Amino acid sequence: MKVVGSSVQRSDGEAKVRGDAVFGADLAVPGMLHARLLRAPVAAGIIRHIDTAAAKASAGVRDVVTGADVLNERAGVAVFDNPLFATDYIAYEGEPIAAVVADTAEQAEAAIRKVELTIDAETPVATPGQALMSDARMVHPSWAEFGTVGGIDFNRDGNIVSQILLDPGDVDGAFKRADRVIEGVYQTPRQYQAYLEPKMALATFEAGRYTIQVSHQYPFRLRDRLAQVLDVPKSAVRIVGHHIGGGFGAKLDLALEPYAAVLARRARRPVMMLNNPEEERLTAPCRENATVKVRSAVLNDGTILAQDVDVVFDSGAYANNHPATASIPIFMFGSIYRVGTARIRNRMVYTNTAPTGAFRGVSGPYLVFAAERHMDQIANELGRDRREYRLAMLAEDGHKMLNGQALEELSILHKAFDLVEERAPWAEQGKGKLRGVGIAAAVWLTNPQPGQATVKLNEDGTLTVVTAATDSGSGAVTTGLRQIAAECLGISADAVTITMPDTDVAGFDAGSQGSRTTHVAGRAVYDATTGVREKVIEKAAAMLETAKEDLVIEDGVVHVAGVPEMSLGLADVAMAATFSQGPIAASGSYTTPPPPHDPSRTKGMLFSTWPTPTYHVHLAEVTVDAVTGKVTVERYIIAQEVGRTINPDAVKGQVLGGLAQGLGYTLWERVDIDAGRYVQRNFESHGLPLACDMPEVEFVLMENPEAAGPYGAKGAAEPSIVPVAAVIANAVSDAIGAPIDDIPITPEAVLDALERS
Amino acid sequence: MRFYRAHSIDEALELLSEWGEDGCLLAGGTDLMAQYGRGEIAPGALIHIEGIEQLSIISSGTRTQIGALTSHRELAADAEIAAGHPALASAAGLVGGWQTQAAGSLGGNICNASPAADLAPPLLVADAHVTLTSKSGERRLALNEFFMDRRATARRPDELLTVIGLEPLPPGSAECYLKLGRRGAMDVAIVGLAVRLSLAGDGAIKAARVAVCSVAATPRRVPEVEAALTGTRIEPDALAEAGRALAEAASPIDDARGTASYRRRVLPGLLERAVMQCGEEIGR
Amino acid sequence: MTADQPISVTCTVNGETQTLEVGAGETLLQTLRRRLWLTGTKEGCLEGECGACTVLIDGAPVASCIQSAAAVDGRDIRTIEGLSDGERLSPLQQAFLDHAAVQCGFCIPGMLMTLTALLEQQASPSREEVETALAGNTCRCTGYQQMVDAAMTAAGRERA
Repeated sequence: MKVVGSSVQRSDGEAKVRGDAVFGADLAVPGMLHARLLRAPVAAGIIRHIDTAAAKASAGVRDVVTGADVLNERAGVAVFDNPLFATDYIAYEGEPIAAVVADTAEQAEAAIRKVELTIDAETPVATPGQALMSDARMVHPSWAEFGTVGGIDFNRDGNIVSQILLDPGDVDGAFKRADRVIEGVYQTPRQYQAYLEPKMALATFEAGRYTIQVSHQYPFRLRDRLAQVLDVPKSAVRIVGHHIGGGFGAKLDLALEPYAAVLARRARRPVMMLNNPEEERLTAPCRENATVKVRSAVLNDGTILAQDVDVVFDSGAYANNHPATASIPIFMFGSIYRVGTARIRNRMVYTNTAPTGAFRGVSGPYLVFAAERHMDQIANELGRDRREYRLAMLAEDGHKMLNGQALEELSILHKAFDLVEERAPWAEQGKGKLRGVGIAAAVWLTNPQPGQATVKLNEDGTLTVVTAATDSGSGAVTTGLRQIAAECLGISADAVTITMPDTDVAGFDAGSQGSRTTHVAGRAVYDATTGVREKVIEKAAAMLETAKEDLVIEDGVVHVAGVPEMSLGLADVAMAATFSQGPIAASGSYTTPPPPHDPSRTKGMLFSTWPTPTYHVHLAEVTVDAVTGKVTVERYIIAQEVGRTINPDAVKGQVLGGLAQGLGYTLWERVDIDAGRYVQRNFESHGLPLACDMPEVEFVLMENPEAAGPYGAKGAAEPSIVPVAAVIANAVSDAIGAPIDDIPITPEAVLDALERS
Repeated sequence: MRFYRAHSIDEALELLSEWGEDGCLLAGGTDLMAQYGRGEIAPGALIHIEGIEQLSIISSGTRTQIGALTSHRELAADAEIAAGHPALASAAGLVGGWQTQAAGSLGGNICNASPAADLAPPLLVADAHVTLTSKSGERRLALNEFFMDRRATARRPDELLTVIGLEPLPPGSAECYLKLGRRGAMDVAIVGLAVRLSLAGDGAIKAARVAVCSVAATPRRVPEVEAALTGTRIEPDALAEAGRALAEAASPIDDARGTASYRRRVLPGLLERAVMQCGEEIGR
Repeated sequence: MTADQPISVTCTVNGETQTLEVGAGETLLQTLRRRLWLTGTKEGCLEGECGACTVLIDGAPVASCIQSAAAVDGRDIRTIEGLSDGERLSPLQQAFLDHAAVQCGFCIPGMLMTLTALLEQQASPSREEVETALAGNTCRCTGYQQMVDAAMTAAGRERA
């Protein structure tokens, strides 16, 4: 292969290093107005009165809108619980209450401060624990009347947004047969995505249609959700995507777009909205804070007869996409290790806090944290070596997950353990005072959701790939899809142009999430390019008067195999085709089919399988400062399986970036909540990882081409974040000789644990 | 809001006397402009003094005189500061990132009176005095008297802080600044600690100065600890005793960066580390 | 823009002399983005912490989001748009492409300005010196390693 497997440069790279790339936040169009939102100043309260008179009279103001002025039906991805504007009660600090449009953003901001709000503040339901108490106030008193997608029940119950239960029925018996029951409780905080470009939206309304220019990870969902809240057909909404200044899951659903749309229609002018940094911090759909309880029924020889897992996580004030992803715990326990049987319960709970949502590796980091801390705990209690115990429990090819789906390639994970061992022999790691080593393994998925691509052969012999796949930085579109098309046709990646997303132009694509772009959109591009290739060969065969089977395409030239002088440039073929039978183009569509599984085990779950699995082993060595409790990561090794590498440098960038986010989650970043309000309210106190905080990383890339993927590629971008918290906590616990079962691992918690040990 | 460029100290004093509390001095402005942007302050005038060259001069002698406009970056890079005030140089290199160090000034950092001001502990152990100038004259004030409370100083609205005078490190002495943050850089100090130590020929501590930030409403010297150290040797018992005194003398609070109890808890160990470091330095 | 009293500022921006009327409370970031349409300099945290708005003033990196525009009278300002020599990228820009150091790209203008200042002041920094210089520039995408690699290459200190 000539193009696949090489580190082709991203097509938007030069524009980005020159400062020419136009991000959503940079957009400006003639005549545009600026809008700002009035957001709730308290976590919970009854709205008694909203007086907008002074705001309306403020300089430069064109319009002031509240829930009384617009269609304000509750809507959502899964549960229809979220209105555009709070009207009668406030469900979280930062919830929109009114919007102001003015000639300048400063005028809109000044007017927002003039809206008079009369609120009776209430004691917030601040934590899932409070929300689950029998006498808890209902975050949404009318929850029972909320609609749901497809009328699915989700087992909603008061403050419980949704719950799943997988119970094979033989768990309690196993616990009775156990020599010992080992139990752990693992707590994890929220994590803020902290993309640098604030959310924005630029809306226009013209000829009965809305156009939204935006930096968004999933334009088609945005289209569909806008159609839902604006109560218009999907075809009445057009989403035009621009460069995205980071998303990591936070730019997958509605944010400012519906307000901009409504205001643009009323004003008959383009309306620009841009969050300020504090609004971002208050309202971003953080990774959910969670508590995972794991009990294991264990025999003295180490056999795990059963696990009983109870997850409670904080959905915040609205359901978001959580009911759809609530089944992920059934894939994180009993998958890679043999645990006999397992009961899994997952409840997501409303609180008076900002709605949580998707962040790279959705729920994986805390589930693997719980699962792999628990493995250390069992090994320690049995007096077994922690790595040896894992290898003893590691399942083999064909092992069935709790949904009945077989993991056919678990031997990759055995190999990953071996490769890590070659670089860092376990017996030699973590030796010395306050020095420790941790290891953890995981299986992650490649998001299966659909994608479509159209590939056009241009009359100069280059290709244009038309797709709504988005590149929020990974390079999956700007390198990966271009490389796949180039390889498939036999041209260089430079000869492939790829479009920015536009829902009027490209077919459906499920956006940048779950490492799906290279695998799913890549397959669609591969299929489309294959179609183009066939047409090229057919036309060239006619032009060269030779058999199709004899032709090959290399370096942009079609020639008879072994007879290079019998050739045609692709431009010649394209021109000839265009003006004879018509331009050459083809389309491809793909979605990963669900792997075989046992549907009786996944009743009521929207997400019932674990498609295109990838395998991961991480190892870390840490030291701990006895005075301050600070943890230093001395060494970090990642063995990750990716199917096939399309672009080695891009894969490495994803792996390192995911690790940095995982280290931030585990060690430095803080999103504390006090009485429903975020404590860290600026950039500095949040504590993102810096260049000087990153350890030396050794990355072991494992290839194992997968039949359905383009050139064998699986997802690669997301999963390096997943095992990090587990690995670091295991290493710190080893260093100090006491368990660390909560993150972030604050220096204070380390000192506390040191004192206990 | 109005904007004035003062080109001399006299011009600046004239403007200060005219505008009083409604006038804000702009010297680097890394905090000021952020506060203004958030709508936390609404001054009537910004008085830009960065053009007053006199305020950027560093001179050494019996006491080092540092112009108030000297930037953090200059403090960190200046050879005379590095020799006479190594703790100050190191603290200046730990304030924010390069961007903040390049723009932020020594005078601005002091006048902000943040409880977490990194420059303050090294200044305090060097017996810093500030010179405040106004149309009605000039006065000198010890830095510990200058800090009144959290974000409050003894500077009158018509006064300009022009220069900071410091006692350079005497022979047979060493000093250091230890900053505790969560990350490797950029953090507001959870605890900051400066120690200046002089040893007698027999290894006894002849003089000790200890100052802290982020553990009280203002950065401050800790005489109790200084007394506990003076006359002792650098030995575990003496250090432990001094450490207890330091933890007792601190009055930290819980905030977004750390709890009061954590701050109190790390103080003894940091003190020990700082004293040992100074001792080794002198021994070299 | 603000209702402040306007004040005249003359400075050079990317080598060109500019005379502008700015507001008394206006930041240099606002001036660059809104008056000169130099939108390569990014608006990030607005508190001088993230580094996305970094520009060079007289060769030193400064957070333009908390830099008074009125205060830059007489000074030399460089932004990302001034880094390349026309069509030719600077060695640092090229190294960022060669090392795949660019992901979402929002931090990149600020990163490149800080590293440009570093390499101008110190031709051959160590990795640690590069990492320290980047303390005021946050990247959420890359984990920094490829950026530091790129800086080392631009400094002629490519890893063996």
